[in-house]
Parts: sequence; structure tokens; C-alpha cells
Amino acid sequence: MEFSSMEELLQQCHEKNWGIGELMLEWEASKTGRSQKDIFEKMKERLLRMKDAIETGIEDKSTAPSGISGGDAYLLQQYKEKGNYLTGSITVDAMKYAFATSETNARMGVIVATPTAGSAGILPGCIFALRDNTDIPFDELVMGLFTASAIGYVIANRAFISGAAGGCQAEVGSATAMAAAAIVEMNGGSPKQSVQAAAMGLKSLLGLVCDPVAGLVEVPCIKRNVIGTSIAFTAAEMALAGIQSRIPCDEVIGAMYDIGKSMPRTLKETALGGLAATPTGEELKQKIMGKPCLRNVN
Amino acid sequence: MIYNSCFDIIGPIMVGPSSSHTAGVVSIGKFAYDLLGGVPDYAHITFYDSFAETYRGHGTDKAILGGLLGMDTDDPGIRYAFDLAQDEKMNVTFQMENQCSYFDHPNTLMVEVRRKGKRLEIGGASLGGGLSKIFYMNEHRLDLLLNTEIDMEWIKETYLSESR
Repeated sequence: MEFSSMEELLQQCHEKNWGIGELMLEWEASKTGRSQKDIFEKMKERLLRMKDAIETGIEDKSTAPSGISGGDAYLLQQYKEKGNYLTGSITVDAMKYAFATSETNARMGVIVATPTAGSAGILPGCIFALRDNTDIPFDELVMGLFTASAIGYVIANRAFISGAAGGCQAEVGSATAMAAAAIVEMNGGSPKQSVQAAAMGLKSLLGLVCDPVAGLVEVPCIKRNVIGTSIAFTAAEMALAGIQSRIPCDEVIGAMYDIGKSMPRTLKETALGGLAATPTGEELKQKIMGKPCLRNVN
Repeated sequence: MIYNSCFDIIGPIMVGPSSSHTAGVVSIGKFAYDLLGGVPDYAHITFYDSFAETYRGHGTDKAILGGLLGMDTDDPGIRYAFDLAQDEKMNVTFQMENQCSYFDHPNTLMVEVRRKGKRLEIGGASLGGGLSKIFYMNEHRLDLLLNTEIDMEWIKETYLSESR
């Protein structure tokens, strides 16, 4: 039951009449020889660790050791409590939880990479916003992680998921696609709709460069995670409404790969271009590192 | 298909801030620790390309030491790895280089470690999302993904014989 493209994934789901999450769980079981129950429990533990990261992050008002991030999850929490937000409860909660996770990550706290640490805020942000605003049972949220992992699995093997290899589009882009597909499936959408959501989520982030200030996974990474949750929900809403990506998901992934390959090295996590190279970015780098973080330390 | 499990995508559980620059590097260090059978007393670490440019912000230096000290990716002790390495009397040096001639990837490192007369030189690449591979070991090129079942005894016999 191997699959290496979204097309093949959908074919398998169609033949077995399974959801993407179910297929991924069975695939893992058949591949490893372990029981579905064991694998499910292992995934559930990851969801619980995500919850811990969120709770730690919301409570912690402190700035990261770098001094350039931290405390924004708390601000958003205060803002939510006032009740005057513009979008909706689910959007603001997703933003809040994405902030909390990514801020925990920046503080060298424990998080779950989904698919990477730099993009670890998006999927938990969306999932825990659903927990708070819908009546989806906890076990279904765990299944959402299986759905997301299938999407990430295809992207990771066909293109890349790290900023150093393919820019932020590979990282925040993949995470957003994964979250969009999971949201669709957790809300009763079909596998086809999930894949459409993944395509639309990823398309919106094509070309995004990886340009972290001082090389830290903070500026602009954290806010890109926060905004990624909104893109994921928007893509999911479109897919659930029956709207389709004009470019098939596998081709979107192919485009992401080509773009990443032709992206200059300065824009792939080297902190040598983009926002990292702005006057303020350079100034922060000097301040944090004491000196440019280049070459021999000895 | 280098990613071959749902847990390669949802995971690892890890201390931040970067899966490729922190967690993937811990795994490479841990691999060396496992091969040596303990904490090395000497470690010379070379970071290339993206690692060389951004290791401080990502704690890549702490990550490799954490791994060499036997820590897993979610060990909160990683942030104190320098102090812990000193406690273990590990003689540590770092070197920064542009590009690795053995393997073309931005996130590569070489580490030479010694313990009780055993010497091990390995090259590792962190491929993203916490997944790493070993591409070099004691003058041999190899292709060993760290998310697969690894027969450590076989590895020791095949690659470590000449360094004994």
C-alpha cells in the first residue's frame, strides 16, 4: 500500500474507502508490524506533548534569550478575553496556540516538530482551536495528525520540508498544507477535498524565502506560523465548499521543489538575505551575537 | 523515500528551536555516542555551510555536544551541554567551513571523536524535520538513515575495525 504522490494516496483511499488518516495509520501498522493501537497511542502522546507546549507558552510572558520574541501568546490571550476580535474565535485561538508553541520552541522548550520545529506552531494551533470551538472528540484530533502526516510524507519525499533546503515555502508551506488537509478531514471532508486544501494552502506560500534574523527561529518565523493557521483554515474552508485548485496538488509540490532549487543560498536559512539582511535585522544580529556569527570560533 | 514513517513527519519530540539545526544534530551526536559506547574524551567538530552560518542561534553546538553526551532530542539538558561536557572533561574544539567536500547539503557536519583509544570520524547531514543520515565513517562513504533500524554491531564490525 505504498504511495509516493497525492494521486496514489487518493487512489488508495478510494479503493479501500478509507480516510487519509485511517490509511496512514494502517500503512504504518503494516510497514512496522506493530498494532494500530500502539501506533495510535504513540501519536496521541505527540498530541499531548503539543498540548504541554501550548500551555507552557501561554503562561510564559518572558522573552526568549535573544530578546527578540516572546510574550505575544500572552498578549493575544488578553486580547481574546476582551472579546472584541474581528475574525472569529477559532481563528484567534489558532493564532494564540501557534504563538504559544513557537514561543516555547524559541525558548528551547520541548515541542513536537510538525514537520519541522520552525513550523511547529501551525498544526497544533489549528488542532487545539478545533478542540476549543467544535465538539470533535480528542481521538479524532489524533486522527487529524495521521491525516497531516500523510500529506507531509508525500511533500517531504517529493520535495523538501526544511528552510535550509527549500526556503520557508518548504517549511511553513508544508505545515500549512498538512494543517489544511487535517482540518478538512476532521470536519468530515473527503480525502479529495483534503488534498485540494493542501494544494491551496501550499500554493499560497510558494516562493516564500527563509530569512531568519540572526539565524534564530523567531523573526519572522513565529508570526509566519501564526498567519499560517489562517491560511490553513481559509484553504480548508474553500475545499469544504467544493472549490478546487486549478493546479493539481502533485504539480504544486513539483513547483515548490523547482522554486526551492533555484532559490539563492542567501535566502535559505543562512541569515544572509531578506529580512535578516535589513538594517534592523543586521542591527539585531550584532546585538545578539556580539559579532557577526561567521567563521572560526577558535 | 527517505522519510518512511508518520513519526518522521509528526515528530520528533524535541527541544527547540530547529529540527534540522538542533534535533537532527543531536541524533548524529547520539549515534557517535552509541558507537563509542560512552562519552568521548575528545571531540573536534566541523560545521559547514548553513550550520556554520547559524549554529549559535539554533544551538547547533549545544545539540552536537548533547548528542555526544548521550542525550535524546527531547532532553532539556541540551541547553546546558557545554557545562556538562566540561564536567565530563570532554576536550572540545569547533571549526567552521564553507562547504563539505564529501556530501552536498547545506546542513552537514563532521565530527572526530576519541574515547579510550578508539577513534571515530563521522560525517552527518541533517535532512530536515529531525531526520539525519551518516554519509561518512572512518574513511568509508556510506548512506545510513538514522530513522531506520540500525544494526550497531554490524556497523561496528564493518566500519570500526581499523580504528581499534
